[in-house]
Amino acid sequence: MSTTPTATDGPVPPPRASVPGDTAATPGVDVPTAVDADSARWPAGVPVAEPAEPVVAAVEPGRVRWDPAERRARASQSFWTAVVGVPAIFSVLRLGVEAGGELQTTLLLVANVGPVNLLAGFLTTAARLLSTGLVAVFALGAVLAVSVDRLPPGTRRPLFARWADLTPAWVVLASFLLALLTWPLLYLPLLLPAIVAAFQLRPGRLHERVAPRLLLIVALLAAYGWLVLPTLRDAVEQGGERLVLALIVVPPVLALFIAGPLPGMVIRPLASVTEVAVLAMLVWAALPVISTPVLPLTVTTVGAENGPTEDVRGHVVTTDDVNMVILQERGGVRYVPVDQVRAQVLCPSEEELPRHRLRIHDFHVEDSLLEGMGRRVRPVHRIDAACRAPG
Amino acid sequence: MNAGSSQSRLRSIATTVAVALTLTLAAAAGCDSRQEPDLPSVQEKLRESHIYGQSKLRIGVATNEPLMGELRNGQHYGFDVEIGRYVAASLGYEGDQRLEFVSVSTEDRIPALQGGTVDLVVSSFSITEDRKKLVSFAGPYLVTTQEVMVPTRLKDKIRTIEDLRDPIYKVCTSGGSTTEAELEKHQVRTFVVKDVGDCVDGIREGRYDAVSSDEAILAGFLASFPKEFELVDMPFGTSELLGIGVPIGDPALRDLVAFFLQKSYEQGRDGQASPWQTAYNRTLGPWLRAEKRQPQPLDVPKLVDFDDKAPRR
Repeated sequence: MSTTPTATDGPVPPPRASVPGDTAATPGVDVPTAVDADSARWPAGVPVAEPAEPVVAAVEPGRVRWDPAERRARASQSFWTAVVGVPAIFSVLRLGVEAGGELQTTLLLVANVGPVNLLAGFLTTAARLLSTGLVAVFALGAVLAVSVDRLPPGTRRPLFARWADLTPAWVVLASFLLALLTWPLLYLPLLLPAIVAAFQLRPGRLHERVAPRLLLIVALLAAYGWLVLPTLRDAVEQGGERLVLALIVVPPVLALFIAGPLPGMVIRPLASVTEVAVLAMLVWAALPVISTPVLPLTVTTVGAENGPTEDVRGHVVTTDDVNMVILQERGGVRYVPVDQVRAQVLCPSEEELPRHRLRIHDFHVEDSLLEGMGRRVRPVHRIDAACRAPG
Repeated sequence: MNAGSSQSRLRSIATTVAVALTLTLAAAAGCDSRQEPDLPSVQEKLRESHIYGQSKLRIGVATNEPLMGELRNGQHYGFDVEIGRYVAASLGYEGDQRLEFVSVSTEDRIPALQGGTVDLVVSSFSITEDRKKLVSFAGPYLVTTQEVMVPTRLKDKIRTIEDLRDPIYKVCTSGGSTTEAELEKHQVRTFVVKDVGDCVDGIREGRYDAVSSDEAILAGFLASFPKEFELVDMPFGTSELLGIGVPIGDPALRDLVAFFLQKSYEQGRDGQASPWQTAYNRTLGPWLRAEKRQPQPLDVPKLVDFDDKAPRR
């Protein structure tokens, strides 16, 4: 803070009056006067740090207005608050859902699930949602921003346009990269029009002359076609996969036309409708993220030596010298004595069952690039017999 | 100027359409990702089948067919037993605690399935049109041919089907088997006993002169008494397709068994160690004259499973 005195050997300064000196940090008020009032009571010999230049904001008298730098600082502050706070809140909410709404079970989970694990677990499942939200906001924001520029000056800029203006290009690029890595392959073509819109890349950028430009576009489309043609053939053979066909074929074509301003009459409704839609989408997509389990699903075979055994399907919360604490899939917590645990296997959950039977060059369409690469590192997937048993 | 403005209007309309279509597609993709999968899955079929929730799976096997299904010191051994174990483990029944082998004789295989005393029968069960009216089959998991086994003393005398027709030779076979019908077609008079093992015992005691059954079963007895018997290659026209018997009222279970046989078939075809190949190498493999491969199962449903996303290559 500019008016904070530096610590020296002098006497301890008396408590400072909160009014009006503290307001010195906020521009827009009469700063020099405040400093004067403060220094009147300042002990002699204690140096006073004064701003090199008095902050004079060009504002209308009588009205407090943030200058752009301050505004950006506050925006960045709220951004980081959101970045840290939202996952934290979501993670805690998730624990409550995971515990089946039981207070004591929630407390058990809170006591045993470390914050870092919780956050990492959250990011694993929410990275897709996060990147979707960011991509949607940046793409729409850029489209609205370029359109509003054509309207008469003084028109209020839509929210997304302002956000897009504020965000540095590398953040936008990073969001797209995150989406590229975490989105299912089937939805990746949608990133094409989105990135073209976000950076307003008109086909003219490819080459200044028409013929080479067309040639480049045809070459790009041909490469894309080589990539997806076998998949398209499978989709046609399987029938009833119209959405898959549309999702693969249409977006690259749309990418050619999406850059550019929209007509004035469309902007206002589009801005408000998409704001609501993106919010609704985030809420709707957040629900499954909240209900995704925090702990891995296992089946534990429990039983005394040579006696009958029982399979307990659930999530292992913790294991100590005496007990293994299992949160059962259907609800309730089981404390299983450690010496009765005969076997334990990791199981997939039914939400992981694929919805389509299509592959793009041996990558399943519902896998993200990251997941697909992971499957190449560990190609064999064994489902243990115990996982088939009813829960 | 006018052309320019109309071009720019066209351009902005194209942009509007592109934006609108992209948003629509994105919304459709979002809805699609939240929909229940409409492909039938292994889990779903399991829930439909009668074994769902059962604590044990009961598999009917033979107990006196060496190499195929044999009971030694209270333990079941053989190719059929191994195949049964694989199918059971795939269905979620692994280990002796969850799996029960029930002894069924050749003629009891159909009644045992009909009566619900077993959930599956893996016991050199040939797939035939007549049997298909009473039970369902998954498979085939082995293709064999019909063969005749004679004691070494008769190996030069019984060489053809014609020789078998000679009333001086007593030909033995098991009741309710496809062999019985096949021999009847060739006008060979047969002595019908309960199991092939009884025929073999009978020959050793001098009551019969030849036994006919499928190659795999006979190979088992040949392995038990290599010095006493010899296989005679006779041109019986039909090949036997061995399948896994399932109650006719449980198509879901049949589909599951067929699906898991297909999975093993695909593993073997891709050059991996398939459960079928392991079972074969451990039992039949060393004793058959010609090496066998797993046949492709028929009528396999397309089911979705957790490992569907795994790379194929």
